[in-house]
Amino acid sequence: MMSETQQLSLDLKRMIIDTLELEDITPDDIDEDAPLFGEGLGLDSIDALELGLALQKRYGVKLDAEAEDTRRHFASLAALRALVEAHRDV
Amino acid sequence: MNYLALTGSPWQRAAGESSAQPADWCSARTLAPRITAWRIWLSSQAEGRWLLFQTDPMEFTAALLALWESGRSAVLPGDNKPATLRRLSSMVDGIIPPYPPQVPVQAPLSQPPNGQQCAIPAPLPLQAQREAVVLYTSGSTGEPVMQPKRFQQLEDELDQHAKLWPLEGCAVVSQVSHQHIYGLLTGILHPLCHGVPFSARDSRYPETLAERLMDAQKAGLAAVVVSSPAQLSRLPEHLHWPAITRRVFSSGAPLSEADALRSEQLLQAPVIEIYGSTETGGVAWRRQQQSACWTAFPCVDWRIDQGKLQVRSTFLEHPEHWWLQSDRAASQEDGFHLLGRADRVAKVGGKRISLTQIENCLSLLEDIHAARCLPLAERDGRLAIVVAMEPESIPRDHETRRSLVERLRNILGDELDNVAIPRYWRFVEMLPVNSQGKHDNALLSRCFADLDDDRQPRWLGEVSNCAGNVVIHLEVPSRLRYLAGHFPRFPLVPGVVLVQWAIELATEHFGELGTFCAVERVKFQKILRPGLRFSLHLERRDDGIAFHYDSHHGRHASGRVVFTQDATHD
Repeated sequence: MMSETQQLSLDLKRMIIDTLELEDITPDDIDEDAPLFGEGLGLDSIDALELGLALQKRYGVKLDAEAEDTRRHFASLAALRALVEAHRDV
Repeated sequence: MNYLALTGSPWQRAAGESSAQPADWCSARTLAPRITAWRIWLSSQAEGRWLLFQTDPMEFTAALLALWESGRSAVLPGDNKPATLRRLSSMVDGIIPPYPPQVPVQAPLSQPPNGQQCAIPAPLPLQAQREAVVLYTSGSTGEPVMQPKRFQQLEDELDQHAKLWPLEGCAVVSQVSHQHIYGLLTGILHPLCHGVPFSARDSRYPETLAERLMDAQKAGLAAVVVSSPAQLSRLPEHLHWPAITRRVFSSGAPLSEADALRSEQLLQAPVIEIYGSTETGGVAWRRQQQSACWTAFPCVDWRIDQGKLQVRSTFLEHPEHWWLQSDRAASQEDGFHLLGRADRVAKVGGKRISLTQIENCLSLLEDIHAARCLPLAERDGRLAIVVAMEPESIPRDHETRRSLVERLRNILGDELDNVAIPRYWRFVEMLPVNSQGKHDNALLSRCFADLDDDRQPRWLGEVSNCAGNVVIHLEVPSRLRYLAGHFPRFPLVPGVVLVQWAIELATEHFGELGTFCAVERVKFQKILRPGLRFSLHLERRDDGIAFHYDSHHGRHASGRVVFTQDATHD
């Protein structure tokens, strides 16, 4: 059985793959700690906007206004998961 | 405050500045100490052209104005990729560092370091005919183009903006890069000339935009938003948008009508699109709520020759000459419609990208014969690329494909912005050509048909050596709908799908096969997993077809499908 954390990780990976239509990338290919943007998964500025919308839609997470801070959550899958978990605890 | 022309150095007037200013925004007052800091540093540096890349609007503006006030000009690259900086370093006299060295970031004006205050020369007036900036953009040949602009050109365009869209009582929030002509003019220079504040920090995300609008609201100001289709088409509805926006600008690419109307509703303001280019500056504008037709700026002449737009205006380097735009257009009513680009330049996220540059960059690699890049309209204009390679270099499964794509992405990443790196990759032995031997866009697009239909295998070319026989190269897309059915953690293509594909592709090749009768001698020997590259061999038989599926693993499946000819029954 998967832990809740593992399940959330998998869901988030699927959300990224589906939202951004990433081809030939499976959840297993996404490293928990690798950067999502730039090198690593190679996402770009348009993807950042898409992911912001998807997080709100799927998890009700509203990003805050500090640009640097907001997209810090997108640094890696682990950071993204922490953001969603923090939102759930509220 | 009143509008003052650019060559009047409007940022130098300090008196009378409105006290209604959101904290931490840019204005003449907040800029002054930063400009001085840069002028101190520049006073001991070389003259001439300086490369300026700075994402922070406040620091960018301060450095730019210091360059201008000291008789220098600024080269503004669109990115700071290693390849861009390498290419430009020999053409400039210096590179502006992120902050002026030796000068603390918060240096108070009254205490410049080393007592240099007296040593700085007085600010020079801007001379209309001198070079102000050099912009840097993608050309259709694959080589980037440097486009110089004199102060007069910028001033003429700013005057036009001031007449059409005055900024009195506003604050400006820009979501776009000031390294490009549109962001520079609309987001920075226009508010400077009007003496109104503009956001000193990056505002590209919608959450930041919403907060800046609230800042403006608290200061009792209306807002002008400078944005782009990439951002307006993704404005979230759940954010609170205070109803203080007077006008929204969009440029970089046409905004869809639906997005234009939706943005007007959300931000409760007219959305004005500006059409132009680095070379021409602004050409025309429209508000889709009123018309889809573009209206030229009053001082811009235009005509259409052989389906392409030509422009003459004082914003151009040579105002007396007709400039040939690479956009196809048709005249209508009092303006024109744009019908797409006529060259091999694509716009992704509003950024101009040379398809030829991407192709050339990859073709230089030893194992790549050729590459052909195309934007996919159905995927928001994202780039797709077909790469022709030696057969032994072509990836055969998920892992080899993934590592090849990663390698190629990294190579392109040295030279190109992330949005310019193709998202969809196809590897083939030869680029598909039509019966005249020409590159065929329909065939290229076919390599990406699996994106629009998740029931299809990925088509990567085919060879028919004799009538009644064909070999089709295919791949199992990882998003294939049928993969999920069998075992949740072990996706594979079900056998029935292989039979279905054989029938569909045979029908396409051989024409209508008749009424399905039976499947014979079917063997499923090896499974097909996501990412596997394989070939389908089809043979036309009197009573139907024979098929077999092969890959580097050997034979996966084979069989026959029998059809009856029922043409006479109808």
